[in-house]
Amino acid sequence: MCTMWYTVPMEFGKYLRSERERLLASDPRFSVRQLAQRVGVEPAYLSKVERGVTAPPSEATIRALAHELDQDPDMLLALAGKVSAELQAIIRKRPELFAELLRSLKDLPDHAILRVVREVRDGDW
Amino acid sequence: MIELSDNELVFRFPEIHSEAHLTINFQRTLRIPDDQRDYPLPPGLGRFPLFHVDDYAAELPAPWARRGGVFLPMHQAEGMWISFKGDYPFAVKVATGKINAVSGETWTETLTGEPQDYLVVPEQPWLDGYNVGHGRIRQFVATPLGQDETVEEQLTGEAAHGGIQILAYPMKAAYFEHFFGQRNQFWEGVCSAPTAMSPDMGLAAGGLMRQRIHEDPFGLACWEQATTSRCFVHILNSRHFRQVTGYATPQEPPSAELYSMAGLPWFELNDADHAALEGAPPLQQVESLKTRRVREGKPSPEDSATIHPDQIVGLDASKGRPVDSRF
Repeated sequence: MCTMWYTVPMEFGKYLRSERERLLASDPRFSVRQLAQRVGVEPAYLSKVERGVTAPPSEATIRALAHELDQDPDMLLALAGKVSAELQAIIRKRPELFAELLRSLKDLPDHAILRVVREVRDGDW
Repeated sequence: MIELSDNELVFRFPEIHSEAHLTINFQRTLRIPDDQRDYPLPPGLGRFPLFHVDDYAAELPAPWARRGGVFLPMHQAEGMWISFKGDYPFAVKVATGKINAVSGETWTETLTGEPQDYLVVPEQPWLDGYNVGHGRIRQFVATPLGQDETVEEQLTGEAAHGGIQILAYPMKAAYFEHFFGQRNQFWEGVCSAPTAMSPDMGLAAGGLMRQRIHEDPFGLACWEQATTSRCFVHILNSRHFRQVTGYATPQEPPSAELYSMAGLPWFELNDADHAALEGAPPLQQVESLKTRRVREGKPSPEDSATIHPDQIVGLDASKGRPVDSRF
């Protein structure tokens, strides 16, 4: 449990910082100060998040960061050890079914998982 | 396989290549005047919403459920263009009422090189209408099936299909690796008889627009013809949209005249270095919606007065991703 608490903020912060610095190389709007301002947090807080000395921020802030950094919000939430409220609601609605589904899919390769997304049905024309 | 995501059709071919993705959406736009002048490219005004036919099968005509696919709502005489996005090359056939929009021939599921009956994407980022040649197309404009106005009805005498048909062929993986081993180098180096009350719509030919349909720079052998995906995109008359889906009907787009008067931009793709296809003779013979309605003494679509777009934004085809700029 202790390891988890330590690792998640570190990994999340490290990733956040690397993506921000990559964008900063060509666009000064990605300084800690300016990015923090756009997502509505204090620069000192964002800096702590990046260094992994504090827990990842709220879902809303992570979504705002994902938007600013052009990242997939689900991926960034997962890196922060969170599952989006939207996905939680989907699972809560049919918990047994989704638990079973996720367990059955956990070891499948990506291309096989893509097969279970809903396809547009092609008929006779 | 084709997935519907965020009002886009996502074609994936994981069995061919992990990067073989193609995203297609249908953009709302202005209807350009149909006055024999040619116009620059109108803007994208957002995606048409897309729905699985299966989700509303009980409210839709029976042939729609048989064909499967998706549907989108369009207003009377509303314009549209089709946007193609992705980094992996595809050959794409586009038909309306099962008449090929590039060659004017009836629908087939194999690629033809002479005359070329497909688009090569992402090199061709958009298709706005029917290939009438000399670097021009006639805009896709919606009209109810059963009034002898669609391209399908004019060329076949029947209103059997309507809608839009799309078939995508990924590039063979070996050719992809060959051409794109050094990514991004290649593109720079080459260049039932419906009635008027039916909810079913088709596409007719609207005004003229400057758009080149590019010649295939790769050749027929590069395309994987054994593994393809196709989709029937039905067009639901917007008058029936609320009844079918329960959602509010989308607003009509502004007229080209109002848009231009507001000083908003039109677009032009700087692609003169790409070889363009000849116009398709069957499509050159098709009467435009306005010409036909005037000849038959019917009211023609409004807002067809000549306009003079003065804000034209040039987009550079060689920079690779001009698609996102046309909004």
